[in-house]
Amino acid sequence: MLPYFKLHIISIYLSYIAFFVASAAAVLYLIQNSLLKNKRTGTIFNRLPNLEFLDKLNYRSISVGFPMLTFSILSGFIWSENIHGVYWWSYNSRQAYSLVLWLIYAAILHVRLSARLRGRKVALLTLFAFFVIIISLFGACL
Amino acid sequence: MDVVVIGINHKTAPVEIREKFAFLPKHTIEANRMLKENVSLAENLILSTCNRVEIYAVADGNKDYVNNIKTFLGRFHNLNLLDYENRIYIHKDKVAVEHLFGVSAGLNSMVIGEMEILGQVKKAYQDAQESRTTGKVLNRLFEKAFNTAKKIRTETFIGRGAVSVSSAAVRLAEKILGSLKDKTVLIIGTGTVGEQLVLYLKKNGIKSILVTNRTLEKAQDLAGRFTATAVAFEDFRNRLIEVDIIIASTGAPHYIIRNNDIISLMPERKQRPLFIIDLAVPRDVQAEVNKIDNAYLYNIDDLDRIVEENLKLRKSELDDCSKIIAAAADRFMAWLIKEKLKDGI
Repeated sequence: MLPYFKLHIISIYLSYIAFFVASAAAVLYLIQNSLLKNKRTGTIFNRLPNLEFLDKLNYRSISVGFPMLTFSILSGFIWSENIHGVYWWSYNSRQAYSLVLWLIYAAILHVRLSARLRGRKVALLTLFAFFVIIISLFGACL
Repeated sequence: MDVVVIGINHKTAPVEIREKFAFLPKHTIEANRMLKENVSLAENLILSTCNRVEIYAVADGNKDYVNNIKTFLGRFHNLNLLDYENRIYIHKDKVAVEHLFGVSAGLNSMVIGEMEILGQVKKAYQDAQESRTTGKVLNRLFEKAFNTAKKIRTETFIGRGAVSVSSAAVRLAEKILGSLKDKTVLIIGTGTVGEQLVLYLKKNGIKSILVTNRTLEKAQDLAGRFTATAVAFEDFRNRLIEVDIIIASTGAPHYIIRNNDIISLMPERKQRPLFIIDLAVPRDVQAEVNKIDNAYLYNIDDLDRIVEENLKLRKSELDDCSKIIAAAADRFMAWLIKEKLKDGI
């Protein structure tokens, strides 16, 4: 039981760190993108990295975070079965949030990989996903 | 032990006069030696670039050295110096030191803060060393000039920001696309600015260049010069999928690229970012294109404005630079006075 627990917690943290990096890249992307579109090429523009780098960083972070999240959800189910005897414990809102989160990140990866969206819209979706993470953290504390 | 600089530059003389005074690179070392012998200077150094010809000298005891240096200049270039009396400036001691520090940092350059001059000053210093016409004063003076130029570059904004249309465009391209090493540019139409920009992109490592023009011969001619690929005008729209940068510079009276062209293009290029530079007047690209996600449109006014802002920023830094230079020159003069006293004893 213990190793599951440890791996479960570690993978949750790692996925959250990856998603945090993705969101930070998304914020910087949105700032730099808006500076470029509005032709404001001052100090902030000069300091911020290029869009290509930020877009890749966002994509790669999510690519790392997503399998972590998948693993943490699966190990969560097993852990839940060990403790409560059921895979799906309906009083645990965290499980539900995790599944929602998984769907959102799966969707982001899908649109990105199928090259349907890129850049600004992916950055906005990333921020939405991060918003859901924050809500789920608050939700779990209640 | 006086330090003196005698010279002409782009502020005092047009190129027709400057070229008469210029020392060819292959003559500099010899000219340094001749100058030292003829005028019996303690140390001397010739700096000759396209924007300036300057002689830095240290004189010992020789009272009439300024006139002697001028006479040497006149004789070396076969010129009657009386004709150019008002073009030539002479600075001594602290003013001369500040002048060199300013020149090395690019403050005296045509484009304020440009980097090229520092390399030219370094080369002039190496040549003078090779001529064995430098000594402890010029050695220290130039070492301090290089240090001060470096300090100014790191501590002020004098060298920051693009100050030509080409460099502004390349900077934007790198901020949008990242490295240019795997990117392709398409130039539509011909024109000086557009061609300069393509050359600059090439210098910055762009992978491939496509050229198109209404008359295929012109495109082929240009393609030959850039080692690029010529594309027939009727065909260029089919190539937009593979292109990362478009330079539009045709004389067409109407739009060449419209909003709808790019809207339908973006899914085909899998939303890869597209940087469009519209150098044409009247414009070649519909302004609304800039509103499309992952497409970035800059016209000639946008680029000019960036250049102007950066030049303004550089000029606003001049006060800070002068302070750094004055402090460095004071330290050098203090050292020089100590040396004078030492030699006096």
